[in-house]
Amino acid sequence: MTATGRERRLRAGPLLLTVPAAVALLLFLIAPLAAFAVYSFLTGSFYEVSGPLTLENYREIAGSDLNRTLARNSLVVGVLAAVASVLFALPIAYWLRYTASRWKTVVLFLIVASFLASYLVRIYAWRTILGAEGVINSGLGALGVVDDPLTFLVFNRFAVTIALVHIYLPYVILVLYAGLAPLTPSYLEAAQDLGAGRVQRWRRVVLPLVAAPAASALLFVFVLSAADYVTPQFLGGRSGVLLGVQVQVAFSTGDYAAGAAISFTLLAAFLLCYGLVALALRVARLDRLRFVS
Amino acid sequence: MSNEEILQAMVRRATRRRFLQRAGALGLGTIALPGLLAGCGGDDEEAGAPAEPAAGPAEVPTASGRLDYLSWEGYDIPDAMKAWTNTNGIDIKTNYIANHDDIQGKIKAAGSAGGFDLTTYYQGYKPLYAQLQILKPIDESKLPNLENLDEFWAGDLGSFWVDADGTRTGVPWTWTPLGLTYDSAKTSALPSHYDLLDPKFKGKVAVVDDPTGAWALGTHILGMKPDEVKKADIAKVNDFLSQIIAQSSGVSPSFGDVTTKLTSGDAVVAFQGWTAVNQFAADAGTKTIKHTIPKEGGFTACDCWAIASTADNDDAVYSWINETLTPKVHAAAADSVIGGPTVGDAYPLMSKAVQKLYPAEAQAEALEQAPLYNNPPVESEEFVTFEEVLKNWQELKAGAQA
Repeated sequence: MTATGRERRLRAGPLLLTVPAAVALLLFLIAPLAAFAVYSFLTGSFYEVSGPLTLENYREIAGSDLNRTLARNSLVVGVLAAVASVLFALPIAYWLRYTASRWKTVVLFLIVASFLASYLVRIYAWRTILGAEGVINSGLGALGVVDDPLTFLVFNRFAVTIALVHIYLPYVILVLYAGLAPLTPSYLEAAQDLGAGRVQRWRRVVLPLVAAPAASALLFVFVLSAADYVTPQFLGGRSGVLLGVQVQVAFSTGDYAAGAAISFTLLAAFLLCYGLVALALRVARLDRLRFVS
Repeated sequence: MSNEEILQAMVRRATRRRFLQRAGALGLGTIALPGLLAGCGGDDEEAGAPAEPAAGPAEVPTASGRLDYLSWEGYDIPDAMKAWTNTNGIDIKTNYIANHDDIQGKIKAAGSAGGFDLTTYYQGYKPLYAQLQILKPIDESKLPNLENLDEFWAGDLGSFWVDADGTRTGVPWTWTPLGLTYDSAKTSALPSHYDLLDPKFKGKVAVVDDPTGAWALGTHILGMKPDEVKKADIAKVNDFLSQIIAQSSGVSPSFGDVTTKLTSGDAVVAFQGWTAVNQFAADAGTKTIKHTIPKEGGFTACDCWAIASTADNDDAVYSWINETLTPKVHAAAADSVIGGPTVGDAYPLMSKAVQKLYPAEAQAEALEQAPLYNNPPVESEEFVTFEEVLKNWQELKAGAQA
């Protein structure tokens, strides 16, 4: 075998390894997405779609008060959950990276172990904490702080946001921890040697270098939270219903065309958010920062 | 035959049964029974409802192979059907649904590729399922135990399970009246559905996410029939339902969640209360949850066994359905799903707890207070349609119409 042939094989090897994943993505993601993209421009009836092509589904979405209300709920809950997750996760990830020392393994194990808890169990756990006879209200009642249970704790956007932050926080901690991994203590020591105080080290060194992973985590939580349809049903009450519920309802009641149109509207909104975040990173010149060793 | 006529027939039949029981107690032997039954035959003819098996000896097909089940978790009644499953060596593949609309969704999605054999449907869905053609006709000659059905359930009540032309598409096997559920430790029994609108229940009403059920109950309370609400009257129903939802802390995704709200103190009363919630709550340690049918009444939900259009093991389905109509298995199934039986002879074999929820002597009255209805029509120029109900419900849930 010639050296040229070996090089060619070496170059082709990684490409060939991606073929199974590419085929799977094509069959199980791209093809269904393409089908639903077409569905979104058709007319839906019970479990059937038919032509001709029309924009009616998108017109209905734009003209619906209900969809506007739910979209606003999704935006508020998505943004709050994403921002809160990153704000809570960043100090924890920082602590894990630089301070935790021997506790690091234990805490990382606990974070990963939290993924094993059922999604619904975690949602119901919040009901037992925030409910009328839950931990908080019982405690406040026992202390004589309140006579009647606080009703604003649960069945609203606040409760949905808290549960979503709880559910996604471990993911965000791991993403930020991985983002901080290349930022060795020598960076901070160098900044300190150059006269930077604690706040300045955070502002000028840590935050710019974790901006990109933090933005990824932010988008990750925002997309999953804004499109969630399970948590809102258990904790959202009337004010916490999100647009994802409409997608679920449309598909479960056989209106594939409307479900597809709402899905693609959400997808477009998420792509727009992705673009805005990428633009913000670029404007702030945070998109090309690299760790150097 | 109207609901009322069938109910009268039921009462006559109940009277006849009591007479036979008394006769037995008085020492009349079994020899006399055929004559007595024949003497009472006129009642049956008046009722006119029982579906007679086709000519020739009824024979149940032999079950074998795999049975693909598509319905609620629990409706596969594993304990009740354990002996049948083991005896026939059946491999039951369960496909559980999250809501009733999953049934048509999954059968339509499976298409001609086959898959689901045994399914169930709530009687109100019959018109939609007929249009979607997702149910196979049932050959009554393969179900000799159909004769065990009580007269009310054997009858062609509203083309729920037997079409006008005699084609059977379902076998009713469990039913329950929907009314109002309340925590007796926190409130006395509510005599009217309108009591739910009392300001003291603000945020304390549980409402389950069941658009057709809410529509059926709402229209019944307002004195309408759910499948015959004129389009001009939709605002009246929406107004009532939105007031109920405004009293709630949000719509619950399931009756399990309604139970949790009642037992955790997040709700005191439940619109569209289901009898089984009492038992769910009792199992969770709260024995104060009660069910009542207020003065305006309620509606009854009856679930039917059916053969999915995708079925490729019809024999196993026939054998399954026939087995569930034997009194012993039927009683075990009623206990398991905490539902009312459609086989009268199963009553004495049921647990005391479930007997208490569905007292045999009160069945006719319960069904009169809470009739069976069809869902809104799939298509109509005059009446509110099924699709409109679903759409309205989403808006009501999110408070868009409140």
